[in-house]
Amino acid sequence: MRNFIFFIRRFFNLILFLALEIVCVILIEHTNTLQGNDIVSSANTVSGIVYKKQSDVVYYFGLRKMNDSLLNENAILRQKIDRINSSVDTLKDSLVHKKIATADTTTHIVKYADYLYRTARVVNNSTNASDNYITINRGSKDGISKNMAVISGTGVVGRVEHVSAHFASILSVLSAKQRISAKLKNGTNGSVIWDEKSPDVLTMVDVQQDVPLKKGDSVFTSNYSLYFPPDILIGTVVKTQALKKNGLQLIYLQSSTNFHNLQYVYVIENKMAGEKKQLEDSSASKK
Amino acid sequence: MNVYLKNILRFCIIILLQVLILNKITLRWWNEPSGFPIFIPYVYPLFILLLPFETPVWALLIMGFLLGVSIDSFMNTAGMHAFATILLAYLRTNVLSALLPRNLSEYAGQQPSIKSMGWMPFLVYSSFLIVLHHLVFFTIELWNFSNIGFLMLKVLASSVTSMLFIIVYLLLFTKQSTSRI
Repeated sequence: MRNFIFFIRRFFNLILFLALEIVCVILIEHTNTLQGNDIVSSANTVSGIVYKKQSDVVYYFGLRKMNDSLLNENAILRQKIDRINSSVDTLKDSLVHKKIATADTTTHIVKYADYLYRTARVVNNSTNASDNYITINRGSKDGISKNMAVISGTGVVGRVEHVSAHFASILSVLSAKQRISAKLKNGTNGSVIWDEKSPDVLTMVDVQQDVPLKKGDSVFTSNYSLYFPPDILIGTVVKTQALKKNGLQLIYLQSSTNFHNLQYVYVIENKMAGEKKQLEDSSASKK
Repeated sequence: MNVYLKNILRFCIIILLQVLILNKITLRWWNEPSGFPIFIPYVYPLFILLLPFETPVWALLIMGFLLGVSIDSFMNTAGMHAFATILLAYLRTNVLSALLPRNLSEYAGQQPSIKSMGWMPFLVYSSFLIVLHHLVFFTIELWNFSNIGFLMLKVLASSVTSMLFIIVYLLLFTKQSTSRI
């Protein structure tokens, strides 16, 4: 017995070493089976908390990248929605056309995909001039050209005015020069302009007085616009004012886009705009 | 500062450094499709290397076990790091007494460092133990002896990188005795 205790004291370190190594081997063995995984793993409390804290911190550094990717995904989804909304030209389904399209039944379905969405980040922004311009980090090299429509996630922003190789400046809706064709929920058309007073308030003109309106009604872009896709929110009605001299009413709108903290926008290319404009110009010049 | 407090603090700092920063760095020495192994620099054995000279072996072993298990719990490698670290802790005393001219008990109140040992002995001491640690760890991790060359390449590359990080750590966190005026 004395010899045994002596032996243990003499080789205590070696025995401890071997014991701990055996514990490690058992742990490793346990991991290799499916059930034993949770003895030492990052699912336990302490390391879980540390990793949680870390991801809370690191999360902020990744936000910009995440924003960009979400924005791109949104652009793709918007494009897809547009394609669904406008892929079938229902007018061509009418009786007259069906008679013509006899051999191939698929020809009367025309895929349009009129609008191409591009994402951009706002690098400069003004709201207090009389003509407000927004600068974005996309230019002609990214396919931006003059007169393309610009919207944000919440509503209309403006129209591309100048383009350089890597930047473009947008004349925002907050400009006396800008006039956007708009419609009410019931289809009444009018125009939205800005009266240079507040960057949150737009005005809609050319609406008859007998059109019923409530506070909070939405105003959208119309189907007649050359550049904007239809049904994009411009703003909501705040109050109306009847004009006595011409029987029209003035509608004050709360702009749906917050121009103060604009960060990301979509630039929309209407592929049919050139053809449409050419046709309209030629018919106008013949008069 | 109290030696216990200092080492507890260092324990936490080294684990956090390893887990939160170095584990996110996957290094490769050059980009090739066939793939030079990617690896992570392991700096945490430095905690064992820097414990005071007179620390008894059983304490080293237990601390090695705690350190290894903590790292394991963060990296989901259950026991692999602990295995290698305990081996390193066990051999530390032997390597030190082989390298140092005097008996270990004569260095009371000191810890292994560049200042107390000199550059060359310290680098030999740490690189020997780090290479051993990496060799054992990667052997257990891969557990595949069909491609010894790959294993050796991985061990070599990651020990060199770990040593670089360790030297940087020492240069950053060692108090300079002479202040330049």
